[in-house]
Amino acid sequence: MTPKILVVDDDNALREMVGIVLTAAGFTPTYCPDGNQALAIFEAEQPDLVLLDVMLPGQSGIDVCKGIRAISGTPIIMLTAKSETNDVVLGLEAGADDYMVKPFEPSELTARIKARLRPITSSEARVTIGPLVLDVEGHQVLRDGQPVSLTPLEFNLLLTLAQKPNQVFTRELLLEQVWGYQYKADTRLVNVHVQRLRSKIETDPDNPTIIKTVRGIGYRAG
Amino acid sequence: MFSLLRRSVQARAVATTVALSTVLLVALGWFLSFSIGNGLFEERLQQVLAESEVAVLDVQNTFAAATVSDEIALQTLMNSVVPKLEATEVADTRRVALLRTPGQSGVQLLQSPISSGLDTALISPSFRAEVRLSEGRLLYQSIQLTKTTDGITTTSPGLVVGSPIQIPLAGAHELYLVFDLSSDQQTLTFVQQTLFAGGLAIIFIIGGVAYLVTGWIVRPVKIAAEVSEEIADGALDVRLLEKGEDAVSSLARSFNRMADSLQQQITKLASVSKMQQRFVSDVSHELRTPLTTIKLAGDLIFEGRENLDPSLKRSAEIMQGQIERFEVLLNDLLEISRFDAGAVRPELEIHDLNQVATSAIASIDPLASKRGSSIEAQLPAGEVLAEFDYRRIERLLRNLLANAIEHGEGKPIQVTVGQNEDSVAVKVTDNGVGMSETELARVFDRFWRADPARKRTTGGTGLGLAISLEDTLLHGGALDVWARPNAGASFRLTLPKVQGGTISASPLTLPGEGEK
Repeated sequence: MTPKILVVDDDNALREMVGIVLTAAGFTPTYCPDGNQALAIFEAEQPDLVLLDVMLPGQSGIDVCKGIRAISGTPIIMLTAKSETNDVVLGLEAGADDYMVKPFEPSELTARIKARLRPITSSEARVTIGPLVLDVEGHQVLRDGQPVSLTPLEFNLLLTLAQKPNQVFTRELLLEQVWGYQYKADTRLVNVHVQRLRSKIETDPDNPTIIKTVRGIGYRAG
Repeated sequence: MFSLLRRSVQARAVATTVALSTVLLVALGWFLSFSIGNGLFEERLQQVLAESEVAVLDVQNTFAAATVSDEIALQTLMNSVVPKLEATEVADTRRVALLRTPGQSGVQLLQSPISSGLDTALISPSFRAEVRLSEGRLLYQSIQLTKTTDGITTTSPGLVVGSPIQIPLAGAHELYLVFDLSSDQQTLTFVQQTLFAGGLAIIFIIGGVAYLVTGWIVRPVKIAAEVSEEIADGALDVRLLEKGEDAVSSLARSFNRMADSLQQQITKLASVSKMQQRFVSDVSHELRTPLTTIKLAGDLIFEGRENLDPSLKRSAEIMQGQIERFEVLLNDLLEISRFDAGAVRPELEIHDLNQVATSAIASIDPLASKRGSSIEAQLPAGEVLAEFDYRRIERLLRNLLANAIEHGEGKPIQVTVGQNEDSVAVKVTDNGVGMSETELARVFDRFWRADPARKRTTGGTGLGLAISLEDTLLHGGALDVWARPNAGASFRLTLPKVQGGTISASPLTLPGEGEK
């Protein structure tokens, strides 16, 4: 069973071309041409990952992203024509795991998808950090026995930090270990996702106790 | 004071008016005071002479009518003359002296009666000589009277009038009447003081009036100047108040019409320029989606080129290269449109310029070796720290290096880094074709190429140096260039160590500066 990728883009040629690239890379693409149908198709197809264009007719990519996040933690990679605008931050805040700026290389596209679909592994079956218990096998985080809902990316981010408590991770190192980037990339990815993660696991996200900011360097757990 | 006069028309006008009216008033005052003094004196003189005439006649009649036979009776008569003629009012004192003419035969038997308090030294011998020869006419002379009251000596003008008198038995005598003119002097002083005070008041009033009047005229001009300043500073909708029909309001109307017209032009130009920027940005964005498709397709074809026949394979390779070039061009265009829209914010942090230079050289090194150029780096020991956007400055250095390789004709390229107390600099020098003066002037123009006939080999977009200059200005730095035909070119980037700081002088010199 090859991973199923939902491609949401209004440009027919690009959609088809991305499909060809995905097929060649061993994925099964399904398509959606606009924002309004995106959620319905997502629910019907149950894809393993979503490629989502930001500029869509009907519902915008940002809204679609929020809609999907409301019901699922499925990895979402945003496709955007603008790298510098708020689109990127808005998309990330809406719950996208990663983003790609057009035009991109096919190899880059498949590498990012693979990084997002890579199973999360750990030498330990259970990791404890503060009041949280991470069940690596079951992909679950428990706080006082109650499950906390995290996306796979958020789980991976937390696990990476929690496995080495008190070690400071630079944003670049996190980009490499969690996102699978091999080169310098946008550190806003890390900032936005740490914020999202904190809002789910911290009792007071403004005064975090589990994931702490190390000024000028990065983050550490514990 | 002088600077105020130089700066303010109003101050100048007021000063001139006051100065001129002061001169006129001083002249007028002097003339008035002189004529009033003269008039007072003349009038008083006539009065004095008339009184004296009466007195002299009276004295002569007294002696002529008297029938005295002995000296004692004569002395009594003579003594009675003086008090009769004296006047002792404080303001109008008159003193009298009946003096015997010296040089007569016979012994002076009788005393000359003199008013008390009269100093006969006031009656000069020369005047007395004149009186003796006057044959009965009244003569007068102006004198200074000194008066000492409470230890303070004051002087006042006086008149002495004299006439010869024949006294039976006693011989020739002279009668002198000394008049005190201090009351007239007081009148004159009072008039002069009044004139002075009045003149001073008039000068102040004239100054005030001049200030007010010039103020009325200068104020609209001042306001117009202020409004012009505001408009120059960008407040395009500021206007003057139009009121009335005079020249000043006509100035305001013309000024406002000019400002309207300027505003229209500027707004029009700004909107055209904004539309153009927006257009470039939109085009760049719209091109991105099809370019993505082309790139994906091209890449697939390129990957499978080994299965194609030779001409298709070569086509795939060429297409691949051109897609890349297209992408770079699109990115550069987008970058330029961001600068034009003022939407660029640098990500400022403290970095080591040595490290940036090393990284840029490393990334461009494959291209340099392909073209046979070696890059020699002269980096100072230690760190060269400054606050800048790493990505932009590295890109800028890559641009300069690519440019040097492009025009360097395979000769060595030097990269030098330096710093001083307030700035850091990096210089990229090639020894290639160089540029002429006219070419140098256009080197930062968009899409401009030194020699259109030259083949392009390194795939620059023609926007590289334009973007480099924008990036430099974004950092408050300077990008200077030196070049001579066939002697190579040298580009120098200077950045302040702290953003917002000033650059006193670049730490590195360009060849042209060394020649000075």
